[in-house]
Amino acid sequence: MTITLALPSKGRMKEDASAIFERAGMKIVAVGSDRSYRGRVESWDVEVAFLSASEISREVGSGAVDFGVTGEDLVREGLADADGRVEFAARLGFGHADVVVAVPEIWYDVDTMADLGDVAADFRARHGRRLAIATKYWRLTQQFFSGSHGIQLYRIVESLGATEGAPASGSADIIVDITSTGSTLRANHLKILSDGVILRSEACLVRARKPAHADDPTVDRIIAAVRGAL
Amino acid sequence: MPLIDLPAFAPDLLADFERLKTLRVDTPVIQPAEPFLDMAGEDLRRRIFMTASETGESLCLRPEFTIPVCLRHIETATGTPQRYAYLGEVFRQRRDGSNEFYQAGIEDLGDPDTAAADARAIGDAMLVATNRLPGRRLKVTLGDQSVFEAVIAACGLPAGWQKRLIHAFGDQKQLQRLLAELADPKSSGVFGPEVERLAGMGILDDDERLVAEIAGIMEATGYSTNASRSPGDIARRLKEKMALATTQLDPAALAVMREFLALDLPLADAPDALRQFATGSGLKIGDALALFDARVAALAKSGADVDVIRYRAAFGRPLDYYTGLVFEIELEGTPAVLAGGGRFDRLLTLLGAREHIPAVGFSLWLDRIERAIAAAGGAK
Repeated sequence: MTITLALPSKGRMKEDASAIFERAGMKIVAVGSDRSYRGRVESWDVEVAFLSASEISREVGSGAVDFGVTGEDLVREGLADADGRVEFAARLGFGHADVVVAVPEIWYDVDTMADLGDVAADFRARHGRRLAIATKYWRLTQQFFSGSHGIQLYRIVESLGATEGAPASGSADIIVDITSTGSTLRANHLKILSDGVILRSEACLVRARKPAHADDPTVDRIIAAVRGAL
Repeated sequence: MPLIDLPAFAPDLLADFERLKTLRVDTPVIQPAEPFLDMAGEDLRRRIFMTASETGESLCLRPEFTIPVCLRHIETATGTPQRYAYLGEVFRQRRDGSNEFYQAGIEDLGDPDTAAADARAIGDAMLVATNRLPGRRLKVTLGDQSVFEAVIAACGLPAGWQKRLIHAFGDQKQLQRLLAELADPKSSGVFGPEVERLAGMGILDDDERLVAEIAGIMEATGYSTNASRSPGDIARRLKEKMALATTQLDPAALAVMREFLALDLPLADAPDALRQFATGSGLKIGDALALFDARVAALAKSGADVDVIRYRAAFGRPLDYYTGLVFEIELEGTPAVLAGGGRFDRLLTLLGAREHIPAVGFSLWLDRIERAIAAAGGAK
């Protein structure tokens, strides 16, 4: 069976992923021109599709491709029951980003999720509306707030970019976003709660859990080769 | 109604509602999503069916009736007291069972006699359930948010802790977690470096300077114009948090709380047991108990079968608009909840009503009742 592998179509993620596969003895060659979005692995029965990172998580989640390289954050945000549908076969050591809960620095009284729970509990009574969280991570936010910390009373305000500016502009009170160095958060006078790291994400080799993989030796060979290259 | 998949007993149920002198109302299936998310929290989002209008307004398929009925009441400016009945389809994403199913129920708005209204809600719910399942024994569980709140208040915990516990009522896991934290005072508060700086400046005890300092920084960092929490809010809660961190919690108070939460007994015995608990623990919860007793008395007077009702002190709903009674009806020997209800005195004002409107209601899961009837061999 031909195995399909989805890789990021551009940028650092594409280069870093290609480098790892090359070290793993799986040199990726483009089909047709260099700018083609189709490729294959030299002398392996593996086809490569170059897709955007969020598409990759969706395609692996639905089983449309067998493997993908994408950020863990996108997989866990994009899929309900991610661990049931995909296997994180290898953590690749690049694309590091933490999904964090950050509040205005000036909230001197808020350093933990428990503090935030207290503030959220009577937010409506004091301010006439629920605590508003700007984020593009709906699912991770809900799981973390409702599931892990018993905080129910908040509202999510969708934010697809420049999320760190939302608290100062008044469109939300706090944010859930990714950060790698924390410098954008600091520049916007936000601080990460001491127990506010929702997920330490990095690029992963993700496998769709498909029954057909059980007796396909190529699947294990790919995983072993990539792990060996790390 | 152009509905052909109504449960066979729907006409009988509606006849019951009419005999109970309620006003039948219907509400649109497509509802604005905001009020549901606002009242129940974001967790609801993944359990409802959402869509948007062309102009971007968030809409959803009606996931329940209480909020639409209350909104309708506010919009039509109908006077109180008023008892509404409804029967219709609701839509929820469920792990098991159909995504669309029927609910029916009664919402009793504006009756100032809360004990009588509570008793009537429980009695009516039991009556219509029994009429669908004659000869079967019901099992009713009753809880009371206001008794829990009174116990927490009387235990002498700092205000911040009271709020946390009250907020977690009905969420067993969260409540146990909080009690464990209460038992272990060393984990009660993390403070950032800025707070140390404020302490170094000696202004933590000087409210005016503290507020001015916070206001100054907010001004300088561009946070003052749009901020929801004012310098005063932050300073006030910072002091509240410091009080939490320095409070030594009395192990006896913790034991009393655990003793209370373990109460689980027939409702008829609950007034005596609660009074014994109050005497034994020395807690002053007389006002809440008086309301509790009045409700039990009203229930007995109404002729409802009080023997099948149990009081469980830890039984509640973790939503901030429930204020007193909560109850659930099951069929003895089966785990399916056939009906649930409670008092939500805060909901109507949260939804925009100008005056305080006390409210109590219940709703029946008609698909589960249908299954219970089928399991019993098709008896009506």
